[in-house]
Amino acid sequence: MENFSEVLSLFFVWDNFIAIAIGVFLGVVIGAIPGLTTTMAVALALPFTFSMAPVSAILLLVGIYKGGMYGGSITAILIRTPGTPASACTLLDGYPMAQNGEAKKALKMSLYSSVIADFISNISLIFFAAYLAKIALNFGAPEFFWLICFSLTIIVSLSGSSVLKGFLAAALGLMISLVGLDPVYGSQRLTFNDYNLMDGISFVPLLIGLFAIPEVIDFYQRKVVSKTVINASGKEISWSEFKRCIKTIVRGSFIGVIIGAIPGSGATAAAFISYSEARRKSPNRENFGKGEIEGVAAAEAGNNGVAGATMIPLLSLGIPGDVVTAIILGAFMIHGLTPGPLMFQNNLSIIYALFLGIMVSSLFLLVVGLGAIKYFSKIADVPKEILFPIIVMFCVYGAYAVNNNTFDIWLMMGFGVLGYIFNKTGIASAPFLIGFILGPMFEDNLRRSLLIGNYDMSIFFRGPITWFFITLTLGSILFSFKRWLSYRNK
Amino acid sequence: MNIKNTVIAISLVTSSLVMGSSSVYADWPTKDIHLVVPYSAGGNTDILSREVAHLLQKELDVNVIVENRPGAGSTVATGRLARGGRNADHTILMASPGHVIGASIYPNLPYNAVSDFKFITKLLDAPNIMVVPSSSPYNTVAEFIAAAKSKPMTFSHPGVGSSVHMSGELFKTLTKTKLTAVPFPGSGAALPALLSGDVDVSFENASTVLPYIQSGGLKALAVTSKTRFKALPNVPTVIETEGYDLSGFVTTVWNGVIAGNAFPDEGVEVLQAALQRVKESEEFNAFIDKMGAEASPLSGEEFKSFISSEVIRWKMVAEEAGVRQS
Repeated sequence: MENFSEVLSLFFVWDNFIAIAIGVFLGVVIGAIPGLTTTMAVALALPFTFSMAPVSAILLLVGIYKGGMYGGSITAILIRTPGTPASACTLLDGYPMAQNGEAKKALKMSLYSSVIADFISNISLIFFAAYLAKIALNFGAPEFFWLICFSLTIIVSLSGSSVLKGFLAAALGLMISLVGLDPVYGSQRLTFNDYNLMDGISFVPLLIGLFAIPEVIDFYQRKVVSKTVINASGKEISWSEFKRCIKTIVRGSFIGVIIGAIPGSGATAAAFISYSEARRKSPNRENFGKGEIEGVAAAEAGNNGVAGATMIPLLSLGIPGDVVTAIILGAFMIHGLTPGPLMFQNNLSIIYALFLGIMVSSLFLLVVGLGAIKYFSKIADVPKEILFPIIVMFCVYGAYAVNNNTFDIWLMMGFGVLGYIFNKTGIASAPFLIGFILGPMFEDNLRRSLLIGNYDMSIFFRGPITWFFITLTLGSILFSFKRWLSYRNK
Repeated sequence: MNIKNTVIAISLVTSSLVMGSSSVYADWPTKDIHLVVPYSAGGNTDILSREVAHLLQKELDVNVIVENRPGAGSTVATGRLARGGRNADHTILMASPGHVIGASIYPNLPYNAVSDFKFITKLLDAPNIMVVPSSSPYNTVAEFIAAAKSKPMTFSHPGVGSSVHMSGELFKTLTKTKLTAVPFPGSGAALPALLSGDVDVSFENASTVLPYIQSGGLKALAVTSKTRFKALPNVPTVIETEGYDLSGFVTTVWNGVIAGNAFPDEGVEVLQAALQRVKESEEFNAFIDKMGAEASPLSGEEFKSFISSEVIRWKMVAEEAGVRQS
């Protein structure tokens, strides 16, 4: 390659390494603070990149993105408050692990899994970008519809003790997701003419309320310190545990890569799909949701697998897959670069320099992550009487910060009460979340397919991708049914 | 003498009080200015606002703080601005087509989109571009209209009430064609459907589709502005379409600075002068050039009358399209 020296000279400058380090560090810290989202951090950092060299500028933003994707899991595990929506799935097993005195183990597994997934995602970006981009372009509304159908079969496996309660929770989540404006006609649904509800229920207040607040209520109700929630000096991950999780991590990473390569899907969905697949395949199925290390690995692999892959449609097609990559696209444009097929012709050296930087960012994530675990796990030493009021403060702040709206604080409190009722009645909150996240995607893609196909049903069976997901969906339903039968006959 | 002195003293004090009260805002701004962005961080309006805040800060020598208050297509933040309250004398808002479209879609807004605001200056205009997939058999607007009259066709848009959506609805109304609106969550999600030919046409923002027009993924049939777009000099305007009267079809994406009625007139004057210098600056023009936009000459009353006519127009389109709430 004749441009090789140019690539190296573009990449091996101190600025790039400093940009990546600062980016990943900021990302991890901001990701760990509930209510401060990665999107916000990337948007705020954008003006600072105007005066930087293009490669450093993009790497700073990518660093924040990747750091944030991991950082969210720290508070999810330690205080049951997901720092970012994508880490909601991590707490399902991460927090129970912390309660069992395995906080350190959970945090480390979350980090290793994140770094490996990130690495796999980067490799996919570098080697399979063109191929995956082609799939992404063929992934229209009907294909999306079947992917969501397949994902919805997860509800059965995440329902906990009672499938009926699981469906009830999912239906409630679905109903709450309906609040807002109709996506096609713009008419109001369940808004009670309140402008605060026009845009629907915000995700962050819902998550914080649902998970963090019930713990607080529970603590003050019992007034006894039952368990040491966190034991920072707990055991390390053993090699056999890590080996057990490798398959899950690799599987989750590829699920993340594929979901990330399709514009408009998102890391939260990837984490849940990866989690449910892990549970389906695991011999420790019954332990999921009670502190299974494989669950933490699966969730984090799923959401971090997305990070590198969202760059695929961005670089190869110029299409941003989510809000963060849309801002990164803006950064490219400001530096006079236009991502897309033309960039591979005109600015190949910049692309390769970026690839090198993105690979290095995985390494930095590991280093920064280890440091973060060391300091964040100091939360362990804080007595609960002091910790819980601080958590409540963060809950209130986090709910407010997303939209700068006091209404969201009340919303968060409301969901706190709902989460408490869920806990007391043994209803799992995971199906509720799935209904809330996937419900709107299901509706959108169903209606979009019908509009595109002029209400001709044949659009749902239009090609190999649709058939592939139809087969998976039917297979998954059959599998659950078979398990239920054998369970009943026992 | 004493009485005389007292009278003089009193009159001095009162006159200074009176003068003082009339000139409370004489040296506006007296503290930090808050620039409210009615959308989440990261969008076009947000990125523009941060640049404007940076330039305005240099002009006025006070901090300009950007505040994101998203919600209900910008109407939450706009409603707050109209209500006034604390800090209203130093709060301004970056308005966009959402300001007038919101007013035409929601009939029960707690404010009047024209009379409850002071219109400081309109910063920029950018056209939307009527684009079709490169595989599309249509090469002109006339060909497209003829086809759309005979069979049902679809257009993509990034959300109900967006300028892209309303442009499509306006086109449908004026040409009496059978276009169906297909919503997507944002332009990023809408683009693949357009590139792959799942939808037939879109009236996307110039900044979004320019790269695809240049790379050949999309064909530009026309621009939606009154005059041709300097980045695409060979592409006609929709108005130019022969055989159809589309003279009413002018839609642009714009941004402008507005304030509530509690905002002092002195502040309006200071800001108008400062923002005029910003609009003329090389830095600002280089910045908006990358967004595919041009600086707007409208200010004050002209900006206000632009808003009133837009509200009337979009209300009609929204009613026709059935997206106006009742």
